[in-house]
Amino acid sequence: MQTQFVPLLVGFALLAFSCGAFAGAADLVTVNEPHARAVPPGQSVSAAFMELANTSAADHALVAAESPAAETVELHEHTMRDGMMAMREIPRIDLPAGQSVSLQPGGLHVMLIGLKQPLNAGDRVEITLVFEDGSRQTIEAPVRKAGVMMKHHHH
Amino acid sequence: MNKTLPLILIALSSLALGWVLLFWQPSDRPAELALDAPDGGDFTLQSAGGPVALEDFRGKVVLLYFGYTFCPDVCPTNLGFIAAAMEQLAAAESEQVQVLFVSVDPERDTLEKLQAYAGFFHPRVIGITGTPDQVAQAAALYGAAYRKVPQPDSATGYLVDHSANTYLLDRSGKMRRVLAHATAPDEIAAAVRAHL
Repeated sequence: MQTQFVPLLVGFALLAFSCGAFAGAADLVTVNEPHARAVPPGQSVSAAFMELANTSAADHALVAAESPAAETVELHEHTMRDGMMAMREIPRIDLPAGQSVSLQPGGLHVMLIGLKQPLNAGDRVEITLVFEDGSRQTIEAPVRKAGVMMKHHHH
Repeated sequence: MNKTLPLILIALSSLALGWVLLFWQPSDRPAELALDAPDGGDFTLQSAGGPVALEDFRGKVVLLYFGYTFCPDVCPTNLGFIAAAMEQLAAAESEQVQVLFVSVDPERDTLEKLQAYAGFFHPRVIGITGTPDQVAQAAALYGAAYRKVPQPDSATGYLVDHSANTYLLDRSGKMRRVLAHATAPDEIAAAVRAHL
């Protein structure tokens, strides 16, 4: 009698493990207008900005990032505390269903720490975004000099 | 019991109060400054090219910004906007303007590093710093607040929270405007022109 359940269990297992074949967060989040900051020679940190559009009906989150251009990559935010701009590492950037989250100067950003290559205007930086389900998306961010305003964002 | 208890309580409270008045110190460090209403004033700090005294720039409009080079976003944004403002000015105008970038992180920002950093944004930016006390005194004159924050779990090591204002001094060295963080280049250029 018990042998009847074995195929059932195998079937369930296959179904469970095949979830990886379904679209992961990386396929459902669109990255728009990524760009990284050009930095002076000898500078060891920089920031990358972008818009993340979650086109799906489920919430997702960016939980990490990697780049061959830097030793460590962290997610950071800015808040105003006691009249001072405070930058802090954050563990994740939530991407609610159907919404766009903007990583822009003065706010959220991907911080590149320990730069392994110079970032000159016109270069391109490879960044891999890691989402909460482990899925990954690799993008190329053009390097731009600060002060070049593409859009005026109101804070 | 009825009469001595209140007396004992009063005695103990007085002792506690006395201890607080005499011995208790807040644990903040002197570099944590509040944004009072400051008047500005002169100071002298160091650059890779030698000492830089604010009064050297009498006759010029000075834009003063306190930050640090390990800052990936706020400082490059403000210096970038200042540089863009300088580009909007005619050559004859920008020659009468001096931009000073004061590092509040002398631990990491050497004079050479400051020189490279400042020059990256615009030739009329000079990067200066000093001992922690000297920097604290200069910042206090302008009400520039900053605070070192250890980050044991982050590869950044420590960060420096800081007010991100640009202080505009007129040709007589008097502070006339406080331009908030990320003031657009147009506004900066207009403010500078108003005092040229």
